[in-house]
Amino acid sequence: MNGQALERVFREASRRIIAALAAQFRDLGLSEDAFAEACLRALRTWPERGVPDDPTAWLYRVAYRIALDALRARRRSRENVHKASELIDANPTPEEQMLDDSRVIPDERLRLILICCHPAVAPDARAALTLRLVCGLTVTEIAHAFLLEEPTLAQRLVRAKHKIAESGIPFDLPSKEHWPVRLEAVLSTLEVAYSKAHEDAAGAGRHTGFAAEILHLSKVMTELLPDAGEAYALAAVVRYAEARRPARVDAEGVMIPLSLQDPRHWRRDFIADADRLLARAVDLAPESIRTLQAQLQAAWCARASLNGPAPWPHVLELYDRLLALRDDPIVRLNRIVALAEVVGADTALVQLHALEASKLAEFIPYQAVRADLLARSGRIDEARAAYAAVLALKPAPAEQRWLSRQLSQLGGRGDRPLPADLRPDR
Amino acid sequence: MKYALLIYEDEAVYGPDKAGPRIQEVVGKHMDFAQGLGPKRLGGAGLKGTTSATTVRTSAGRKTVHDGPFAEAKEQLGGFYLIEASDLDEAIAIAKKVPILQDGAIEIRPVLGP
Repeated sequence: MNGQALERVFREASRRIIAALAAQFRDLGLSEDAFAEACLRALRTWPERGVPDDPTAWLYRVAYRIALDALRARRRSRENVHKASELIDANPTPEEQMLDDSRVIPDERLRLILICCHPAVAPDARAALTLRLVCGLTVTEIAHAFLLEEPTLAQRLVRAKHKIAESGIPFDLPSKEHWPVRLEAVLSTLEVAYSKAHEDAAGAGRHTGFAAEILHLSKVMTELLPDAGEAYALAAVVRYAEARRPARVDAEGVMIPLSLQDPRHWRRDFIADADRLLARAVDLAPESIRTLQAQLQAAWCARASLNGPAPWPHVLELYDRLLALRDDPIVRLNRIVALAEVVGADTALVQLHALEASKLAEFIPYQAVRADLLARSGRIDEARAAYAAVLALKPAPAEQRWLSRQLSQLGGRGDRPLPADLRPDR
Repeated sequence: MKYALLIYEDEAVYGPDKAGPRIQEVVGKHMDFAQGLGPKRLGGAGLKGTTSATTVRTSAGRKTVHDGPFAEAKEQLGGFYLIEASDLDEAIAIAKKVPILQDGAIEIRPVLGP
């Protein structure tokens, strides 16, 4: 197993192991440290003795014992008893190595996500903490997703973990009356997590593994809160988006924009599931932001083949309604993409330039849309510069290949309009 | 865990020197609240108004005595409870029941030590 493969194993394992340890030991810092130490031991022993059949179970066993050891040491030093540290063999027995990890490690992710989203945790730390502990993202990745400096984010995480440890935030599942308050925090956290999972169209990136997890967790939320319309809406959004995953890149690994994807490749089972969830959301929360977002996805997923027209007018209308509920640059940017298709690239470009460019300069979708609109308006030199700018921001590989291709086609056949939705399928 | 619930209200509501009619009202409510807490109440007290406060300040090792509360604010510390709660959720639930006549805030602070 090479370094990259090991890293993937550690990341996969971290999501469930840290949650299980935290539920057991009621200490987030201890759980994280113990898991990190277990990974270090794996790096030392696996190359010599070989990778165990079930690496996750191995890591859990080792981390569990390390945590137990640390707790004992802590207790001893508190009681001021000077005993030689017990030497416990932290390596699992062969029997333990045979155990299937689903039996060894209890699934405590929901419990962990609720701790991370407790109302006593600062709102700006909740999503970051969930991504770190429940989804296993690195501090660097989270800092990137939140457009924050790494030390700022690291400090925020430390503060949140300290607050959880010191204030007595319970590690038990909260009782029913606490659920609605937690819901919003949990849903927005899942949204951020999913958008990271969905970012790399090729699906080869590090985040794809936890898309399945978000599918699961979003469904669990609807089961726990059967009256919460927004929970259904989010579960629907995630399924519509996942349904399109098989059609998001071509055979050469190039991103395919939403309007050019062949609907025959979309996962009909996910779409049917999402349609049912959306119907519940529309009943329970008709005019909510999340329901509108699910309706936007549904508008696309209703397309049966590339021969039928793309649903741009409907999409534009939905973005108009969404804008009335949430006026932010991202909604505006998406609306501009639809506007370019319905009204024209020139009008869309005027509205794009009315956005606050300084805040969006490093936002890949903004630069990609800008490059495309410039190209379609015949401003080829500016378009070329814009494509260079967006490529410099290092988009995910599939997106990068698409953008490079668009750039190389510039000025060739100038009469051929390019599709506006250069935003990758999100 | 042990928590202190610190009660902040605008003491002007209770009249000069907390002697107005509304003080009787709130004291009655606190007695009911404390009774409802039962053994979870470990201690606590209501405080006289900040006009009766004296502050001993230490600055660079020098102690000075001042008239008044340590900080002037719109809402003042008017009393506190010391409670036993299994976790922060229970402490929050209890804090939500602490009588407040108009506007105010209850600050929940875990107590140091075991």
